[in-house]
Amino acid sequence: MNYEGFCTRDALVNWLDDLAGQVSLVIPVNDSGFLLYRQVVSVADIAWLVGESGPSTEQMYPHRPVLAVKEMFFPSTEPLVKIKKKAQQVLLEETLPDKPQVVFGVTPCDARGVRIMDNIFIEDLPADAYYTRRRENVTMVGLACQEMGESCFCTSLGGALDDPSDMDIMLTEFEEGFLIQVVTEKGRSLLGKQKFYSDTSTLNLDQVTNRATHAAISPLIPIPDIEAMPRLFNHEIWDRLAESCLSCRICSYVCPTCRCFDLRDEMLPSENGYECYQRIRCWDSCSRDAYRRIAGGHTPRATEAERLRNRIFCKFNYSPRQYGLEGTVACTGCGRCIDACPVNIDITEILGCLAEVVNE
Amino acid sequence: MPVLSTKDGYEPKIIAYLCTWCSYTGADTAGIARLKYPANLRAVRVPCSGRVSPEIIMRTFDQGADGVLILACHIGECHYETGNHRTAKRFPILHSLMTFAGLEKERLRLDWVSASEGDRFSKIVNEFIATVKSLGPANWRVTSSDGIVVDRRMGVSGSDRVDRLLARVSQQRSPTSSQQQFVLNSHTANAEKSSAIQSVARQLLESGEVSLVIGYETGPRGRTRPAFINHPEDVDRLVWNQECTHNLATYLHGRLKTDAAAQSNQADEERSKRIAVVVKPCDSRAINVLTVENQIQRDQVHVIGVSCEGILEGSGFKSFADDQNSPYAFQSRCQSCQINKPVVFDTLIGEVSESRKIQVSADLISSQELWDLTPGERAEFWLSQFDRCIRCYACRQACPQCNCPTCLYERDDSLWVGMGTGLNEKRTFHLGRAYHLAGRCIGCDECEHVCPVGLPLSLLNQMLAQEVEKVFSHRAGYSMEASPIVSKLSGEERLP
Repeated sequence: MNYEGFCTRDALVNWLDDLAGQVSLVIPVNDSGFLLYRQVVSVADIAWLVGESGPSTEQMYPHRPVLAVKEMFFPSTEPLVKIKKKAQQVLLEETLPDKPQVVFGVTPCDARGVRIMDNIFIEDLPADAYYTRRRENVTMVGLACQEMGESCFCTSLGGALDDPSDMDIMLTEFEEGFLIQVVTEKGRSLLGKQKFYSDTSTLNLDQVTNRATHAAISPLIPIPDIEAMPRLFNHEIWDRLAESCLSCRICSYVCPTCRCFDLRDEMLPSENGYECYQRIRCWDSCSRDAYRRIAGGHTPRATEAERLRNRIFCKFNYSPRQYGLEGTVACTGCGRCIDACPVNIDITEILGCLAEVVNE
Repeated sequence: MPVLSTKDGYEPKIIAYLCTWCSYTGADTAGIARLKYPANLRAVRVPCSGRVSPEIIMRTFDQGADGVLILACHIGECHYETGNHRTAKRFPILHSLMTFAGLEKERLRLDWVSASEGDRFSKIVNEFIATVKSLGPANWRVTSSDGIVVDRRMGVSGSDRVDRLLARVSQQRSPTSSQQQFVLNSHTANAEKSSAIQSVARQLLESGEVSLVIGYETGPRGRTRPAFINHPEDVDRLVWNQECTHNLATYLHGRLKTDAAAQSNQADEERSKRIAVVVKPCDSRAINVLTVENQIQRDQVHVIGVSCEGILEGSGFKSFADDQNSPYAFQSRCQSCQINKPVVFDTLIGEVSESRKIQVSADLISSQELWDLTPGERAEFWLSQFDRCIRCYACRQACPQCNCPTCLYERDDSLWVGMGTGLNEKRTFHLGRAYHLAGRCIGCDECEHVCPVGLPLSLLNQMLAQEVEKVFSHRAGYSMEASPIVSKLSGEERLP
């Protein structure tokens, strides 16, 4: 692995504090007991970051915020265009996002989710202008995970705790500070502004890298073969797996790769005699009962079982086939949906059941 | 809204909903008599004050009104017999809800004006406008510089008192706070209840009395979760422990509904079979409410009531009951619950006692603590909470009483609330939902437990339950009585 350098915790904190003054800096912070990406003006109050004793559970070492980093690129609500109307005159105002941002503390699974979103929003033409613009504006600084969470299964899907491949800059923590890898040019230009790190010649790199690579890896979970998926479509197992589903949207909203949205025109207060409207896009979820409802009230996926099947098929069958995800699936193994589901519908349990059915 | 430097030059926006039969005519009478009142009043003529729904009032404030005045016929003089009774019943509940969420209570007023009372009309309007003017612009409407993009509040306010409360919100669910003196069930007691539930379920399924038993099971990661048992050979999956948090009555309505609204592949006759459901004492109250609201037929359900010593605040993965020495905390609903016997059941499992011991943890926020704040501080508290909401609707989906086929706040035409995740929209949804549950919420707190970002929704529900009890002497679900909020004013109930 090619390391650019290393820095102490203090140097990193100082660098981030400077950054916060220059650009919009987003960091996972503890908001009422929940770790959420928030824009900060200073990093001094972020316990997990400035803590003397380094990462500890009390300081909520951010192994994974409640919501994925996708909200930086695909926000829960996004204005697409503003419409102003006076008599026969209609004006359209573009509302493309233009603010450069830096996100610090991105987990490798989340960054992988962004790559999957790229396949869908950018590489599958036509590219989505809003997503593309945000993607250009945002620099992702990753932080390697110290350990796997209880519901994490990224390693089963080809991920790793210190995988730098989808970041702009990757940091790996060790006793004395952080190792820095520069992955993209965007990352380099962010670092280029200030030399706050030194080179790695004085360090025993073997010991350092050992920490993340030797962290306890959870047992691998079986993933059903994509070629076998179509056979599972009409299987009765879905009824049992989805029986307790409440049809809320937690699983999609916390997911780093779920990207369904709904569009609507809503009225704004009028301005100087113009009636104003805006077209917004908001997150949507295939787990809700009215998703895909059509005129006349017909819903093609009326039962919880059909909706759960769609969610699993979308991740492990439809998306890989449609968007050429190079043999991977549209799930990063972050385990958020497992933790957040109110009735404990567990994607690893579902995959296990499916693999069992396939092997029968 | 333009910011004005002094209160003197400020002219409030007042919206008045006037009943066409009385106060609207009363305004005319005042005009004919050349009585003076300020021009701030924008009158909206309505066919009856009963037609002014709480959603309209909330929407009016959302859109930037500084004060809302509702003028109705005197009780007994309604053109439609009881329209103003409904207004009178809804109003105190809405008023306390909006005040609790941070509106100054003087900004919303209901009064009675008949067609001939021109002088009374002008007196009320003058009074009201003077009061609102002295308060200055309302702090209700939230605008953000980024337009619709959420303005991040980060749980920090300008007030120490609010900050202390905000800090406690995060401790509410933490089992590391002091252990409580409630009795933890022994493994034997849980095992006895589990096997009793299993044998009842087996007997019901074998005899064909029910086609489905809804109970609890342990998932592969040790979490307790809802289980659906269709065959006698599967009943061994059923368990009872102190992590049985879900209110399983939520599932009844969808599975028993036989009308056309239930869009399901299942055949109607299958849906109309009987279902057995395991309920805790709090959950059992939902059975009463569902029955009295005709969402289920009582004889369609075999209620397996289980006595309850309190449910633990689970961490999700660790099972506290496995280690009697590990820190544990009872869920907030259990800390103040005295009832360990279900209010309705067909089979009762476990020992019941007269009452449970109450011990409320010092961390728990009470609604009184919020009432002690200023309106501005309360607004700050609630906005910093609602800011976290992602509108996943888990609160609504988990609620046994949220059973409208289409939620008012999710209409395709954005009539009452937009689709986005702005603070205004999120607040409107949560307050509106709380209002719809007033007098119907049985206090199971499932909305709060399922919330992925821990909104303290039970505070809203508890406060409204207290108000409903104060005004109408009604407690939801304790008996087969419908909520009194949408009915005729009865003799002993007082006017606001």
